[in-house]
Amino acid sequence: MSASASDLRPSFRHEALLYSDQATFLEGTVRFIRDGLAAGEPVLVLETAQNIGLLRSELGQEADQVHFGDMAEVGSNPARIIPAWREFAAQRPGQRLRGIGEPIWNGRRPTELIECQRHEALLNPAFASGVEMWLLCPYDTKGLPPAVIAEARRSHPFIVDGSGSHQSTEYRNPPALFDAALPESPSESPEHGIERSTLTMLRMVVTAAATRAGLEQVRIANIVMAANEVATNSLQHGGGQGTLRLWREDGALIIEIRDGGAFDRLLVDRERPGSDVEASRGLWLANQLCDLVQIRSYPRGTVVRLHMWC
Amino acid sequence: MRRPYLGDRADAVATVVSGERHNDTVYVDKQLAVKRTTSPNGLTFAGAIDYFNVAAVAQSLTLAVNGGGDLHLDLSRLEFCDVSGIRALVRVAETMNGQGRLLLHGLPVGLQNAMTAVGWSDLPSLVICNGGSQEQ
Repeated sequence: MSASASDLRPSFRHEALLYSDQATFLEGTVRFIRDGLAAGEPVLVLETAQNIGLLRSELGQEADQVHFGDMAEVGSNPARIIPAWREFAAQRPGQRLRGIGEPIWNGRRPTELIECQRHEALLNPAFASGVEMWLLCPYDTKGLPPAVIAEARRSHPFIVDGSGSHQSTEYRNPPALFDAALPESPSESPEHGIERSTLTMLRMVVTAAATRAGLEQVRIANIVMAANEVATNSLQHGGGQGTLRLWREDGALIIEIRDGGAFDRLLVDRERPGSDVEASRGLWLANQLCDLVQIRSYPRGTVVRLHMWC
Repeated sequence: MRRPYLGDRADAVATVVSGERHNDTVYVDKQLAVKRTTSPNGLTFAGAIDYFNVAAVAQSLTLAVNGGGDLHLDLSRLEFCDVSGIRALVRVAETMNGQGRLLLHGLPVGLQNAMTAVGWSDLPSLVICNGGSQEQ
């Protein structure tokens, strides 16, 4: 790209690449990578294993200069993707960076898709200042439903398609991030009160459900730890009490914790805890231990849903 | 709000439970027992640490490090420890700064995973000793 266009670009450029086949995927990504390498910019590609293979063979030896990560691992829980970009940036202070990230592919569960879309929208405030990065997010227009492409146009300020790169007229900022509705929870699942003196009981209820769901020992320990932390958050910050419900749905064990509190920091669940001992770590930990975490904050209180695939 | 404190409560329970003096019992409640060990100098924890009793755990640790030197914690019978419990360990380890270390023995795998995930597994004054039983 020309120097003048480069000078005009904002410190964080978040662009959706709408591709319809292998050729348009490679056309959009390979030149983006090569331009970055030519400018001496570190490039991180978080992609599906298949697309990493395509890029490697197309780039040839130049691939050795590119950092690759399997999005199916890094972003299995999409709330771990922003911390991965931040870590990449933190290791290269002051450098202009490029990234390619494809968090949504055909086969993501409906709940994962919702959280991937939330992740895409959160990238804008997450990198609003402090990091000079150009992030390109490929979307497979053939493999994904039209509604997903429409949402990509709303969460990305810039769109690259057959007619080149342009501002998205549908870009929505600020997005509705915390108060989006969640699917109804089944009415027959019993409600357990959360109290300071009964956390042991709560862990027993979660352990029993996780065991019935067939989770392996380490994953049982993980979901119990996460549920206990979120429940403790309710006791400490959510009005001193809360309720827990759990159920199985579409191959997932879901633990839902509600309380009367409110989340006020958009990235509350994806900011890596620093060295401050007193800083809250519960929601960060939940995202590291669970397959998916949904957090919402409504005028009447907060809802956290922890998902474990089973 | 009712809080489990050290002192009268620990003494009372130790007396009631055993009918005799148990000088090694530092704290006990419905889900946790903390006992003092002398060789090596430290504490054993059996049961669960959570928001219910973490204040008492923190106080037990603070009293135990007052003597100075290394403090060995046998956690092999700790069934559960939440982030606030880990925080209590980290806080004590930080106060020992230079005058001794906090050595964790028999750390359950789940707890070790959590410590790594929240970035508390590599403090200089906090030593994770793998291998289960407490070294003598």
